[in-house]
Amino acid sequence: MMTRFERLTIGLRAGLLVLLALPVTAGLVGVLLPALGYLPALGQSAWSLSAFRALFDYAGVTTMMWLSLSTGLAATCIALCGALALVAVFHQQRWLQQIQRWLSPLLVLPHAAAAIALLFVLSPSGLLARLVYAGESGALPPQWGVPYDAHGISIILALALKELPFLFLMVLSVLSQPQMAARVAGYRKVTQSLGYAPVTGFITIILPILYPHLRLPVLAVLAYATANVEVPLILGPNNPPTLAVAVVHWFNHVDLSLRFQAAAAAIVQVGVTLTAVILWLVAERLIALLWRRRSMQGRRHSGVISITAMAWLTLLSVILAGITMLGSTVSWSLATYWPFPALLPDALTLQHWQTGLPEMAAPLRNTLALGLAVSVTAVSVVLLALEGQQALRWHARHRWLHIDAVILPATLYLPLLVPGVAFLFGLVWFQQVYFADVVWLPVYISHLLYVLPYAYIALAVPYQRFDQRYVQVAYGLGKSPLAVFLHVKLPLLFAPVLVALALGLAISFSQYLPTLLPGGGRLPTVTTEAVAMASGSSRRLSAVYVLVQTALPLLAFVLAWWLPGRIFNPAARHTVKESKL
Amino acid sequence: MTRGRQVQRCSTRGTAHQWLSVILAVVMLAPFSVWAQTGPTVHFHAWGGSAQVNSYLSWVSEQVAARHGITLKHVKLADTSDAVSRVLAEKAAGNHTRGSVDLIWINGENFAAMDRHDLLLSDWVASLPNFALTNPSANPAMVTDFGLPTRGQEAPWGKAALVFYYNARYVDSPPQSLPELLTFARRYPGRFTYPLPTDYLGVSFLKYALMSLHQGDHAVFNQPVSQINFDRLTAPLWAFLDALHPLMWRQGDYAVRQASELQRLMSGGDLLLAFSFTAAEIPSAVARFDLPPTIRTYAMQDGSLGNVHFIGIPYNTSVPDAAKTVVNFLLSPRAQAEKQKTAVWGDQTVLDLQLLSEAERAAFQPESPSPAALPADAFSAILPEPHASWTDALREAWFARYGQRL
Repeated sequence: MMTRFERLTIGLRAGLLVLLALPVTAGLVGVLLPALGYLPALGQSAWSLSAFRALFDYAGVTTMMWLSLSTGLAATCIALCGALALVAVFHQQRWLQQIQRWLSPLLVLPHAAAAIALLFVLSPSGLLARLVYAGESGALPPQWGVPYDAHGISIILALALKELPFLFLMVLSVLSQPQMAARVAGYRKVTQSLGYAPVTGFITIILPILYPHLRLPVLAVLAYATANVEVPLILGPNNPPTLAVAVVHWFNHVDLSLRFQAAAAAIVQVGVTLTAVILWLVAERLIALLWRRRSMQGRRHSGVISITAMAWLTLLSVILAGITMLGSTVSWSLATYWPFPALLPDALTLQHWQTGLPEMAAPLRNTLALGLAVSVTAVSVVLLALEGQQALRWHARHRWLHIDAVILPATLYLPLLVPGVAFLFGLVWFQQVYFADVVWLPVYISHLLYVLPYAYIALAVPYQRFDQRYVQVAYGLGKSPLAVFLHVKLPLLFAPVLVALALGLAISFSQYLPTLLPGGGRLPTVTTEAVAMASGSSRRLSAVYVLVQTALPLLAFVLAWWLPGRIFNPAARHTVKESKL
Repeated sequence: MTRGRQVQRCSTRGTAHQWLSVILAVVMLAPFSVWAQTGPTVHFHAWGGSAQVNSYLSWVSEQVAARHGITLKHVKLADTSDAVSRVLAEKAAGNHTRGSVDLIWINGENFAAMDRHDLLLSDWVASLPNFALTNPSANPAMVTDFGLPTRGQEAPWGKAALVFYYNARYVDSPPQSLPELLTFARRYPGRFTYPLPTDYLGVSFLKYALMSLHQGDHAVFNQPVSQINFDRLTAPLWAFLDALHPLMWRQGDYAVRQASELQRLMSGGDLLLAFSFTAAEIPSAVARFDLPPTIRTYAMQDGSLGNVHFIGIPYNTSVPDAAKTVVNFLLSPRAQAEKQKTAVWGDQTVLDLQLLSEAERAAFQPESPSPAALPADAFSAILPEPHASWTDALREAWFARYGQRL
């Protein structure tokens, strides 16, 4: 017999699917209709393909599509290769934890902040040029190609830098799943006893079983990289820009008739992202084929040198990028005059902080309120939905379990795979028609769309690893599912729940388009202000915004790591003991 | 005695009961009373890319909250047309009374667009007590926006004229005219640029160049584009730009989207010459370390383009009276004097100082000048803004010739 609590959790598991799928689908419909010429608000209700025709008549549209596709594919490829090389070389070495610790801050850094910080480093009067021209007083800044280069190299750099830590931590998270960890440990022993070098063993034997679990996160990265707005807006060319940037410009254009073209472009953006995904999957197959042939040769040391070199190169460039980005952003935020090629400002001042912080008060309040609301909702829903999975296992028939296992991951990744520029604009259209004066709710929902999947991913692993014997003992003592959830699971999962909350906060803090569009600019957050400041007149004030933007999620994570130690938590002690073993 | 005490106790209990219900009532009504006290909220949609403008508007928010109990929220726009298209979208969606924009900082073609679509409240400006201080009868610029009559849809807020500034650390003699600008670009290739014509400073540069190429023949620019031979008049402009572009920053391939980016590029030395519509923002940027101390401001000898910028109230605002109160405050001598201070914003006042009292006028006296500031007698001639139709025509022609940029 199912208890009311179990029914609630199963209901919420279904509700989670609706919460994720409905806004995305509705948004896609809302953008597909104007793309096909249907937008009664602008007096158009005849179906036609004229919007697509106008789009493809536009000079440079193919360049835009190519730019979106190439930067996305290149960035994802670099990030994935770097992350895999790091794991292959440093797996089961003490270094790995150090690397994990150093990469984590980059993971929580909002994309916009990373792009602006990279701008500080790469621009002709930035840190890199100052290092090159150090000592040549009177030299003018060079006139080199980045940022804003026509091929989007700066975009690729920023995206790769941002996505690499994410993929790296995803690999580690997959490897730490109980079944996976056992399998990997077994294979490792076998490869080592057969004389394979650890790196070769990893790429020939472990990678093929690891990758299927990594595919969805990789595709999410690919989808984001092909369709995001803030990075190409800050670092990319504008003759022409990437397709996603063009979509945003056309949607916001004074000339409302351009909205049809924008909608068509948004649909094309979905196509571009889909093409990228298909190309990626095809390439996967090809590589797998070649790989198999290669691994059949049974070479014990193949790739050791090149992969080790790649790992070190990745590590060094990420660390170097991190240090220079942080260094130059902090310097700019405190700088008085800073003539070219001096490596340090003439003097330091707190003036920019004194100007910036009071201006930021309201956006900061919005950011925190929104982040907390979204993150707490997401984590609660996800916890109950995971509990619903347990309830399903206890009560439901096998067929239902199977359906659940197929639909949930697919739906979970829906908001991460469908380009935001497409469905968010469709949502705005619905919002303007039905909820014109509501501001918080649409922003809250669109943030939730991005926070829910990550909260689920972050909590699913600890939930799987949860020692079922505790639950069995509690049931044996006659506790109800609700009591077990509240008094056994939640306290033991305190640490991962806090980390999931912090992740939710970090993701909510970093949202640009999902804040700007549904809020109609009426809900400024630190991120939307920072992107506006990036094109503003003051590099110094912009640096202050970037640092606050960076500090917020870091603070959340520091709290999440620090609190469990302060408050009763057997799980923390447990993991400490475990890691010592 | 006992009885008396009992009665007393009873009455105490009675009072306690009454108090409880009063407290309950207060607690339950508290949210509403807070709501009643806070007064109206006015959303002021204004370009947010300038630190000075933003902090001036923070000051204005404090003032109107203290004086009139109005909560003024500055919605910082990256581009004013975002707010225009928002009002337009609201109108299209049938939202006629609960608009999200209550005040908007506009002029030129954004005003022309709002005027064309009837997106602004009209005939309210003359009713503001402080509007008379701008002396509109003697000052037609206060009721004309790029050749278009304002019809009481927008109140003047400030005045501006195009000034140039250069980095004296590298440049001894800046160009004094348009032809000299080309010489400058040849001598310092890659060190000058102008924003895309979608930015108002960008299209202003085109207008300055065009009018400078037609010295002594400016009357033609007061006419709508449809009545003149646009192609013939603009031919010299395109010839000039064709020569200039390859000598510009990034060979003119990447053009900055916004005027504010020029200042950022000037700060590091990427550019050596730039221009602005607000002369006073340059010394104050130097004071804030955003520009190097070697920056000098001047005006071109072949004339400087000048205009007035305005505040409008969208037709569908839910708080028209509060919005008007805010505009009246913005036009007050106190607010205008604050705005003109170099340390604050340095935007020139629209008030006719002759109409102010001695004490009020004193507040407008300039502070000690900075070496980066525009010299007092810098302007040789002010070129009035051409008819509003020129903006679109120039922009379209530019994009048709040099390709779409986004």
